[in-house]
Amino acid sequence: MPRTSFLPLLGGRLLMVLLAVLTAVIFVLDTITNFEIAVAVLYVAIVLIAVQHLGRRQVVMVAAGCMALTMLSFALTRTGSVASGLVNCAISLVAIAVTTTLALRAAAAEAAAREAQAQLAHITRVTMLGELTASIAHELNQPLAAIVLNGNAALRWLAGQPANLDEANKAAERIVRDAVRATDLIKRLRGLTKKAAGKAVRLDLNQTVTETLPLIQNEVSRHRAVLRTELADALPRVHADPVQVQQVILNLIVNALEAMKGEPQREVTVLTALGQPGEVLVSIHDSGRGLAAAQPDQIFDPFYTTKPDGMGMGLAISRSIVESHGGRIWAQAGVPRGSTFTFSLPAARERQ
Amino acid sequence: MTEQKPIVFVIDDDPAIREALDSLLRSVGHDVRCFASVAAFLDAAKPDIASCLVLDVRLPGKSGMDFQKELTHSETPLPVIMMTGHGDIAMSVQAMKAGAIDFLPKPFREQDLLDAITTALDKDRSRRIHVAELDALRARLATLSDGERDVVAQVVLGRLNKQIAGDLAISEITVKVRRARAMRKMQAGSLAELVKMIDRLATEPSAQGH
Ligand SMILES: Nc1ncnc2c1ncn2[C@@H]1O[C@H](COP(=O)(O)OP(=O)(O)OP(=O)(O)O)[C@@H](O)[C@H]1O
Ligand SMILES: [Mg+2]
Repeated sequence: MPRTSFLPLLGGRLLMVLLAVLTAVIFVLDTITNFEIAVAVLYVAIVLIAVQHLGRRQVVMVAAGCMALTMLSFALTRTGSVASGLVNCAISLVAIAVTTTLALRAAAAEAAAREAQAQLAHITRVTMLGELTASIAHELNQPLAAIVLNGNAALRWLAGQPANLDEANKAAERIVRDAVRATDLIKRLRGLTKKAAGKAVRLDLNQTVTETLPLIQNEVSRHRAVLRTELADALPRVHADPVQVQQVILNLIVNALEAMKGEPQREVTVLTALGQPGEVLVSIHDSGRGLAAAQPDQIFDPFYTTKPDGMGMGLAISRSIVESHGGRIWAQAGVPRGSTFTFSLPAARERQ
Repeated sequence: MTEQKPIVFVIDDDPAIREALDSLLRSVGHDVRCFASVAAFLDAAKPDIASCLVLDVRLPGKSGMDFQKELTHSETPLPVIMMTGHGDIAMSVQAMKAGAIDFLPKPFREQDLLDAITTALDKDRSRRIHVAELDALRARLATLSDGERDVVAQVVLGRLNKQIAGDLAISEITVKVRRARAMRKMQAGSLAELVKMIDRLATEPSAQGH
């Protein structure tokens, strides 16, 4: 969402001029009026306008300027009681300082929220989960349904007395055509995942973990669970796409939360550690119901799910991401309960 | 009514599905008419022959779901079989409540579709027969003179000839003559049959037009 502004139509330069004029007016008024009249408090408006349009450092400079002008006015003002002038001057200074701090903090919070939102949007796009999966399933369903219908039609044309070879032939041709259409769709899907496997950079996994957790905090609270981290010091960096690693972590935490539904204790811990030499590990441990003893490897297969509304894609996508980075992912029974999912990423070579 | 080949209408925006359905339904001997949208279907002529509609839920323009609701509330309720690309339980419940014959998630078994079509055509056929009978009765009723109609109105209330004659200020003979003529015109074999006919016309909402 664009930041709302009460001066939406003003260009940058015009804005600066306006701010300057406003400042000058306030300064003159402040100087020629009595000490008793605290015109300087109006500088707060300047700060508020500046916060809407300028960067952090510029806002601080504007605020400092306003405070300096307030003091200058105090020095130049000739009329009124000096005592109340001093009080008014102090009040104005405090008002400007407090407003600046609060406004900057609000702006930063807003920016962080927007950033998190954008990231989450990007992630949903990459994962093809949610809406996108539904529409892909629909897309794929159409040629499949047509293939089945054409197959049945062909059989019936052949079984007729006499058999209608021409119609059966046409139906068979349509089957081939629709099968090609389905294959193309799947190819496009693959392309989509491949394209997403883009920008690998040198990454501090501790930092990736720390930056990922705020994105899921809402989900964690909604499940009334506790999220903790145990991050190892001095980890080597890895070479990976941060969005994709984030993706894996998010998938694993979502699974952890879902596995803890209805459990008395709901705790997820994200750990980083050194693994084998040249390997960094990220583990997500939960206090959930644990893995079904059956086949621990099966859970990574596409479409394997035990949830009524699950797609069974979370772990499959996670595995393909991790493996495309040269890492591994596996699951273990948790100690004392729950389960632990761990993935490894190869450490990047130290820069020469 | 001469028994003509019934018509199966199909609305689906996907040409591959249309072609496949067209071939399958022709292979079992149906007369098939396919359309890409509700608008195209509405534009087409609909002969007065038993028919049904195979309708996709997701359509560009007016959705299949909305159109089904409209159809069931219209005066010529064409039986509808819904198809959906993505099995959606809530939607299928809605469709069945709105009177769909069946709700088939794609890909479906061909036999399910053919069975649903048979049911739908049977339903439409008996509705048409019913409407035709009513129309015939109404036409016969229209041939009665005012005097005959007055007498019939009293007769069905179970009143005696003598009472009717008194009320209408005519002779008992005239009542008998008019009653006999009315029964002939209505093609009623007995008094009981005449009463039944008048009853049926009275209870049936005057569904007009096809
Ligand atoms: N932390 C866990 N604890 C217990 N079982 C788990 C855990 N994570 C995954 N599973 C099991 O593995 C299955 C597959 O998980 P996966 O994430 O691939 O799909 P899903 O969560 O069922 O669906 P979705 O596509 O929405 O992620 C789950 O259905 C569940 O049975
Ligand atoms: Mg999952």
